[in-house]
Amino acid sequence: MEGLISKLTEKHVLFTASFAIRLALVAYGDYQDRTMVVKYTDIDYHVFTDAARFITEGQSPYNRSTYRYTPLLAWMLTPNIYVSMVFGKMLFIVCDVLSGLLIYRILRLRGLRSETARRVSSLWLLNPLPMGVSSRGNAESILAALVLGTLLCMEARHLMWAAILYGLSVHMKIYPITYALPIALMLRTQETRSDGGRWRWRSFVGFIGSFLNQKLFLFASVAGGVFCMLTALFYYMYGWEFLHETYLYHLTRRDIRHNFSPYFYMLYLTADSRWSQWLGLAAFLPQLILLLVASWAFHSDLVFCCFLHTAIFVSFNKVCTSQYFLWYLCLLPLVLPHLRLSLKQGVGLLLLWFAGQGIWLGPAYFLEFEGHNTFLLIWLAGLLFLIINSSILIQIVAHYKPTQAPQRLKVE
Amino acid sequence: MYFELFSVLAFLSRCHCLTEKVEKNENTCGLLKQLLESTSLSVEINKKGLHREVVTTVELSPGELSGVRALLLHRWPRGVFVDPYQLASLRDQSDWQILVDSAIDLEVPAHKASGFVTYVYPTPDGPAPRLIKVTIPIHGRYHEPSFDGKTYTSVDIDAPELLLRTEKCTQLKDLEPHTVVDAPCTPDNSSTCSWVKLQHQQDQGPVSLQFPVGDGSLVTPVCGGTLLVTMICCAALSKYMWKHRII
Repeated sequence: MEGLISKLTEKHVLFTASFAIRLALVAYGDYQDRTMVVKYTDIDYHVFTDAARFITEGQSPYNRSTYRYTPLLAWMLTPNIYVSMVFGKMLFIVCDVLSGLLIYRILRLRGLRSETARRVSSLWLLNPLPMGVSSRGNAESILAALVLGTLLCMEARHLMWAAILYGLSVHMKIYPITYALPIALMLRTQETRSDGGRWRWRSFVGFIGSFLNQKLFLFASVAGGVFCMLTALFYYMYGWEFLHETYLYHLTRRDIRHNFSPYFYMLYLTADSRWSQWLGLAAFLPQLILLLVASWAFHSDLVFCCFLHTAIFVSFNKVCTSQYFLWYLCLLPLVLPHLRLSLKQGVGLLLLWFAGQGIWLGPAYFLEFEGHNTFLLIWLAGLLFLIINSSILIQIVAHYKPTQAPQRLKVE
Repeated sequence: MYFELFSVLAFLSRCHCLTEKVEKNENTCGLLKQLLESTSLSVEINKKGLHREVVTTVELSPGELSGVRALLLHRWPRGVFVDPYQLASLRDQSDWQILVDSAIDLEVPAHKASGFVTYVYPTPDGPAPRLIKVTIPIHGRYHEPSFDGKTYTSVDIDAPELLLRTEKCTQLKDLEPHTVVDAPCTPDNSSTCSWVKLQHQQDQGPVSLQFPVGDGSLVTPVCGGTLLVTMICCAALSKYMWKHRII
């Protein structure tokens, strides 16, 4: 068994096999679409393709209703119209395998042996979930590759490239903006703690001043420049609709239809009441507080901090669909080698996570496909899922052992 | 003299042609009237939950159907919607084509949406078949939560109107009491024609669909419970993150 695992995770075997499996899934998906009633390809892929078609006709991709992404994605997928419908899926599976390679490189930079790094990378490369998502035509793997690329460049201290990739990833989806705080905390001038942590006016001024250094300025200007340039370009091309569909819609999104979020039922019942704005703000506070605490507590280990950020963001968000899980699942392999959890504990947490989803999916199925009024059950299942996610995160935080020796784990 | 004879004959033949035309017109219009009087239409709803199928079955009475075009006109309430992209993908699998009269917002709740009209052409390129069976997939919108304890809301789907026309019958006014309606001639909406509407039997009333709605009277415990649980999780997670922070 041990020999088989080593053979499978040999570098060229691993990457070739993972690419081949994804290719086979794309081919099978094409067959299923042509022959069966239930389609393999996700509806999102058709949205991207329709938007790309509008671009080839010289129109705005936002003519396609429910296209809520950057025009860059539709532009990248124009070969779907010119060359072949399957181009987009090929791009996504290439980015998926690239994400696996980036995970491997980051693990090696953090001090893991090649064999261990390959085994951990195989958790992403041979994982059916990202395989299925990319081969069905979801664009999440592009963002995963961009975020992992940013983290790799940060670990390797290539700030310029990290900033470019970071600007690009924030342009594609808003959630990486939360990484700005730990990145800023990490890049600021690290001063030595002299007076035992007592707050004085001078130490506060010193704290603010530590943010004004060359590295942080370079990063902020390059990332901000890339983001602003892309925003200005697409605003010039597509106007207000681009800003609304790509950014504002997601920021103000109040989807009252059932989803994993614990806030779903509350927002549905209060959608038209005058308290709706205040409740939205109240729902935002736990997210904000947790992100601030996570940034301050773990900024010296950027990879772990980003994983926590994304997991917190998704779990406490006002809208949560299963697509969002991939945002932090691509960072999980980077965290796993440093968890002091036994295999039994780890598998237990994983099963708990799946159970939480299953408990939600039951009443949701009965609501949508059988027409029963299961709103209360869905609400309770959403709360339970939040409790499960929080417990899992607490276990991860409590059992995390950081890499480098200079970082001392402070336990009171 | 031959000239007069010729002109009289020409005049007589024209009269004959005209009367023939009028007779033919009356014949085809009579055919249409016969069709309208003995055609039956029924509607049934398949599936459960938020995704349903409306199946309309029309049996055209025996008679000459060449040149007769049929059109099914559905007037939908705002509580449901059709997915234009789903309909476009269905086009390959069915022989009927559908035209929707306005842009559909797929996500807006029922009280912010409006009703719409669809035109279904069972055979856009040829004469109407004897038996027409059209299945339209519809989806329920989310409705406003109820405050009076009702757990379901009703959405009424009216039976569709069957419209008929034929190229040869132009005197549609003669087909009283069946009313004349203007509708697109073809699914591409390039021109409008006059159609005759079937006055269907009164027993085919509207079909009622039940969709679940949220319970508005629970708004306080739901908000309170949600905020309490999220704040407790937030506090617990913050505590552990601070306790295990990396300096």
